[in-house]
Amino acid sequence: MSKPFLQIRGIRKEYGPVTAVHDVNLDVAQGEFLTFLGPSGSGKSTTLYILAGFEDPTRGDIVLNGQSLLSTPSHKRNIGMVFQRYTLFPHLSVGENIAFPLKVRRLPKAEIDAKVRDMLKLVRLEGFEDRKPAQMSGGQQQRVALARALAYDPPLLLMDEPLSALDKKLREEIQHEIRRIHQQTEVTILYVTHDQEEALRLSDRIAVFSKGVIDQIGTGPELYANPATRFVAEFIGDSDFLPCDLVTAANGRADIALAGTTVIPNVPLHGKPVVGGKAALMLRPERLRLTRSAPGGSTAVPVTVSDITFLGNNIHVATQTAKGDALAVRLPFGHEAISSLNRGDRVWLGFDPASAHVFC
Amino acid sequence: MLSRTDAKAAGSKIPAGRLTLTDFDLTLPALGLLVLFFVVPVAILLARSVSEPVPGFGNYAELLGSSTYLRIFANTFLVSGLVTFVSLLIGFPVAWALAVMPSRFASVVFAILLLSMWTNLLARTYAWMVLLQRTGVINKVLIGLGLIDKPLPLVNNLTGVTIGMTYIMLPFIILPLYGVIRKIDPAILQAAALCGANRWQSLVRVLLPLAMPGMAAGALMVFVMSLGYFVTPALLGGTANMMLAELIAQFVQSLVNWGMGGAAALVLLVVTLALYAVQLRFFGTDRMGGR
Ligand SMILES: Nc1ncnc2c1ncn2[C@@H]1O[C@H](COP(=O)(O)OP(=O)(O)OP(=O)(O)O)[C@@H](O)[C@H]1O
Ligand SMILES: [Mg+2]
Repeated sequence: MSKPFLQIRGIRKEYGPVTAVHDVNLDVAQGEFLTFLGPSGSGKSTTLYILAGFEDPTRGDIVLNGQSLLSTPSHKRNIGMVFQRYTLFPHLSVGENIAFPLKVRRLPKAEIDAKVRDMLKLVRLEGFEDRKPAQMSGGQQQRVALARALAYDPPLLLMDEPLSALDKKLREEIQHEIRRIHQQTEVTILYVTHDQEEALRLSDRIAVFSKGVIDQIGTGPELYANPATRFVAEFIGDSDFLPCDLVTAANGRADIALAGTTVIPNVPLHGKPVVGGKAALMLRPERLRLTRSAPGGSTAVPVTVSDITFLGNNIHVATQTAKGDALAVRLPFGHEAISSLNRGDRVWLGFDPASAHVFC
Repeated sequence: MLSRTDAKAAGSKIPAGRLTLTDFDLTLPALGLLVLFFVVPVAILLARSVSEPVPGFGNYAELLGSSTYLRIFANTFLVSGLVTFVSLLIGFPVAWALAVMPSRFASVVFAILLLSMWTNLLARTYAWMVLLQRTGVINKVLIGLGLIDKPLPLVNNLTGVTIGMTYIMLPFIILPLYGVIRKIDPAILQAAALCGANRWQSLVRVLLPLAMPGMAAGALMVFVMSLGYFVTPALLGGTANMMLAELIAQFVQSLVNWGMGGAAALVLLVVTLALYAVQLRFFGTDRMGGR
């Protein structure tokens, strides 16, 4: 691979005693759509603000196209940004808002007019040119903000939870727009969200943030199939955790003992193993097989059904092991095991050890 | 259903002793006082201005026809305009600083502002007299520093009035401007910066237009208050630049000419109302939020 387009090198940000970002390293390829996903307060915005130049890092460096950005003030970085809050200039019309970055760059009027038209077309808001931001819906305002941020052809576009103020349906609609615009313009996008579905839908790669650290970077399927930490496993997709004992551990694989079953061999292992110590077995609710009797030949856990919830296209079955640990199963609607299932029934949950994970 | 009908029935004949918002007859005594002490005197003044010494508009013709009086009008507008301009020039940065500084510093500045507003007007004006006079602190310091040889004429002229009145009017600019600037989302200025606007462009193209309603409100208030100001121009101004309020006082007190005094007062009132109408037209109460 050639030199990465954007490099975040050991960025750290301290606010007095609080460390918001701990030595984050990240390489971003040109044209990539990379999302920072993480819970509130995990340092996503802070990292983005350092890229934008609103905050100086305590240490570390940001390199764009081989050049450090840190000594360049915000207004000379030529970076686009869409904010969580509505930041259109309220005294300017939609057209004037999009023209703003071009006017401060003193481009000729004809060029500005043409670009404003192109941008309105890109975000599908032709004819809204003369409206004031206050006369637009939240979704429309964010689309104008996107047009304004792309008007000067920035090499890098930052988006800090731009859709969090919108309702679910509108959010999905604009996610589609953002994808289309990303493909059309080939701009590199760094996107922040705490919504895993949004991250999975939009991104080429996802960086999962936790307490100021990137726990794992990868594509959605990679993070789902191979979570590096328990936090990532919990954050991407649904997960069940069962306490277990570590019997042996070697080469990223472990044999574990679960109460009520024999030793389960060859489970993918993460973390620092202590043989004979405690660990957690992670299972995906949608990959568990529910059967009435012990399945011959495959690994299974006996449980008691505690609740059954209908969730539209699938059914959520809450169960408990003999030791009282909760284990959720998700079955497609119409699954034959469901029809006569009742609370209190004793059933077996089978799984493939290779698709499970052990976290220490 | 039943309870709703009950409530409706009860609502139609309100039991005595219960207050509703439409019981405005309670406000009648206050309205009566307002009419008695505000509307009536103005009406009497109006009547005297068209009836003394002889019935007709002679007083107005004299007031608006004589160059002496017109010069006083012009001077009144000049002083008010200057005071408004200088107040805006100083008030904007102060309001801006107040809006962004940590609140414990801002509250100290506010305390100073309010304290000065609550200090007796005469005391404040005499204090400026002491500071500005030929042998005052300012001239002494400037001479001591070798910046000037002779004391500057800072009092009994336009400079003195402008300084004294600007000082008194500043809070009336700073407070509304502070309110408007506080409401501006800092992210809007961050967005402007990323769009490529340097500080100056952000100030001129974003911050100033957004602060405009506050500036207009403050400026109008200061301008109108200045038009009718008496104490400070009388003490710090010179005879060469008399203001309208001083003229009115002279008509009534020295010349006992109620006709001319009333005419001058009414001209002032009409100008004030006209300015208020202009402000309502361009920055009507519903447009004051800045959105
Ligand atoms: N100006 C500041 N002063 C002090 N602490 C701050 C400041 N800005 C952020 N922090 C702290 O840094 C941490 C990371 O904040 P950040 O805004 O980056 O989180 P985030 O991941 O964007 O969260 P959210 O999803 O809520 O926006 C938080 O603990 C926050 O309290
Ligand atoms: Mg944030």
